Amino acid sequence: MASSVTEPRPSDSSPVARAAAGPGETTPPGKRRKGLSERNRPLWLLIPGGLLMTIVILVPLAMGIWMSLIDLDQYTLRRWVSAEFIGIKNYIEAAVSSDLLRSIWLSVSFAVISTAVTVPLGVAAAVVTQNAYRGRALVRSVFLIPYVLPSFVVASVWRTMLQPDGIVNVTLNNLGMDGGLWLNGPNSYWTLVWVEIWAAWPFIYLLALSGLQAVDHEVHEASALDGALWWNKLRYVIFPYLKGPVSLAFLLATLNHINNFTLPYVLFGAPAPSDVNVLPILVYVTSFQSFRFGLSAAMAVVSLILIAIPLFIYLRAVRLDVHEGGKK
Amino acid sequence: MGMSKPRRLGTIAAAAISVLMLAACGGSGGTGGTTSGASGGKVDGTGKTLNVLMNVTAQYPQEQQAWFKEMGAKFKAETGADIQWETFASANDEMTRIQTSVVSGQGPDVYGLGTTFTPTAYSTGAFVKLGDNEWNQLGGKDKFVPAALGISGPDEGNQIGIPFVSRPFVMAYNTELLAAAGIEKPATTWDEFTEQAKKLTTGDQYGVAVAYKDNFDPWKYIWGMSIQAGNPIIDGSKVRLDDPITKKAYETYFGWVTKDKVVDPSSVGWANPQALAAFAAGKAAYFPMTSPLSIPALDASAVKGKYKYALMPTVPPGETSNPSGAKPATSILSGDNLVVADYSKQKDLAFAFVKMITDKDVQLNYFKVFGQLPANQEAAKELATNEVIAPALESGAKSVATPFSGAWGDVQLSLTNVVVQSIPDLSSGAVSGSNLSQRLKDEQAKSQTALDRAKK
Repeated sequence: MASSVTEPRPSDSSPVARAAAGPGETTPPGKRRKGLSERNRPLWLLIPGGLLMTIVILVPLAMGIWMSLIDLDQYTLRRWVSAEFIGIKNYIEAAVSSDLLRSIWLSVSFAVISTAVTVPLGVAAAVVTQNAYRGRALVRSVFLIPYVLPSFVVASVWRTMLQPDGIVNVTLNNLGMDGGLWLNGPNSYWTLVWVEIWAAWPFIYLLALSGLQAVDHEVHEASALDGALWWNKLRYVIFPYLKGPVSLAFLLATLNHINNFTLPYVLFGAPAPSDVNVLPILVYVTSFQSFRFGLSAAMAVVSLILIAIPLFIYLRAVRLDVHEGGKK
Repeated sequence: MGMSKPRRLGTIAAAAISVLMLAACGGSGGTGGTTSGASGGKVDGTGKTLNVLMNVTAQYPQEQQAWFKEMGAKFKAETGADIQWETFASANDEMTRIQTSVVSGQGPDVYGLGTTFTPTAYSTGAFVKLGDNEWNQLGGKDKFVPAALGISGPDEGNQIGIPFVSRPFVMAYNTELLAAAGIEKPATTWDEFTEQAKKLTTGDQYGVAVAYKDNFDPWKYIWGMSIQAGNPIIDGSKVRLDDPITKKAYETYFGWVTKDKVVDPSSVGWANPQALAAFAAGKAAYFPMTSPLSIPALDASAVKGKYKYALMPTVPPGETSNPSGAKPATSILSGDNLVVADYSKQKDLAFAFVKMITDKDVQLNYFKVFGQLPANQEAAKELATNEVIAPALESGAKSVATPFSGAWGDVQLSLTNVVVQSIPDLSSGAVSGSNLSQRLKDEQAKSQTALDRAKK
């Protein structure tokens, strides 16, 4: 009764369709045979969506790329259509005489470290709240607190706590340790990583939890019957189920970390200390404090490419567009 | 076809984005289609709506709404036109707004601008230059405090900014603490200031409250001490950030925490409100770089009745008088200007509005509600008898405008950035001369690049 979604079912029973599906038909060599579901599709129905995508995504994207190729600043803003076309000069300036390369390094390392720490945390938290026990609902809710708090609030709270005479340093002093400076200097990088981890791990937890929920009851039963102990069961039975959701979480979390503007901005302000001059802050300062819109657009395009790389690898790896049964 | 490919692409993209922006801005733009005629001094704006964008006064949100309402009614009575108010929270917000407005050619008719942001706004070329005709519509140039006009434009013939309010900087001092230390009157040179501050530092009480981590305060000290010694930072086509004068200013400013130990070590993490809080709690004798805006906070604190304002020292560090060519600046020229958008289709109405809110009574009332000093000369004179306010008015009259250059934003950023990057050193107790020189050299290069672009 259950028909697989991956198997195309002819929705129309017109003679043409039947003839095409009939036996004995040969595909001309060199010409790909169109699947049933590809014929007579009302593609025009895509127009509203396509139009919306053009307006919302493609036009701004094209504008951004165009801006990165012109000399657009406060002086040319008003007559920006006639701003001088300077080709890749903005890119060269960004690479040679701005902090772009350093910012890219800071952003990428910060994102990777944050993700590398949050993934095991999130998965562990998901496993801990998988089986029912008293108070599980409460634990689950508590786990979500960092996630539901707006980034702005998280950053404000941490900024207050990490002041030179804030609660963190007072506590450390009482324990006989010297806290030092958290919001400036070399420590600020680790402050950023720490607060990001604090705020971001529930995201991994949520996706891992959804992966765990997808494990059939029978699988648990079968592994219990086979006498698998908890670690073996986790390692060989449960984790394979988590591979999909967690790698998606890994990718999305890394991209989120790279893109996070609010957290470093509220924590450190602008201009940011050089140790936390991450890409979004650099682009912001270049745009709205130096008013070099062209230059900052070039930086933004570079950051877009940077983000597109892992995304591309991921899409290739999971082949989201192709299902097991063939083309959809 | 005559048009190069990139140019054509640009035109298409521009057309597309204009359409989008027009759609997005629809409804918020000006409603008047034609220029309203000024007949007999009265502007008839019946059926029109003037769009005004002002700085949000975070301290007094309700009062601001009430003031908007009151001014709206007054304007309606005078011209028959309505006002649609909008607010912005920061210069960046505003720049975004200006950006979209100048590109699409519609948006607010009147903008309120911070004084130091006026050069940047000027460089966009999007605002009306004030000729005799415009000044007459406003009630004449004489109506305004002369010093307040110092940052209206690059020169007399090219002014865009109409002074609205003045927020000159002064220092607050704790009269009891100074008296207890045997200090008769506040310091007038920075050296004397440091010496007094040393005397005033005992136990957990410090001589000075300074906000090193503030995003706006630090550059004002450096600029002030520099110009008092003859370095205006932007000197013609040259930036002079790596000048020994400016280095000395940084050393003095940093020295309060590293060498003289007259400020709370925690202040390396403070923004202005935290420094104000320390002064308000009686933990600091001096609180420089404040304005009459701090009156409500101080009057509600432990130092109520025990504080006064005074001019900040005007003689640079290491000197006993101002060297020749130097300006004894008491403050940056600080406050708000009003500008009228060039694209506005109801400029007469816009000027009628600006005239209304720069008239004496409105200005005095604005001071009463918000604590911001009038730019209207008559109103300022009337307040000069107020003992608390007098130093601030004097500071306003003796304030010096920051250089009128489109590159000023970058220079200001550079001045601030030297402090931001020095904070770890400040915290550890010493900013080495070589570190400071290196930072100044880096920022000098950045600022000079910005200035070179401004000159093109």
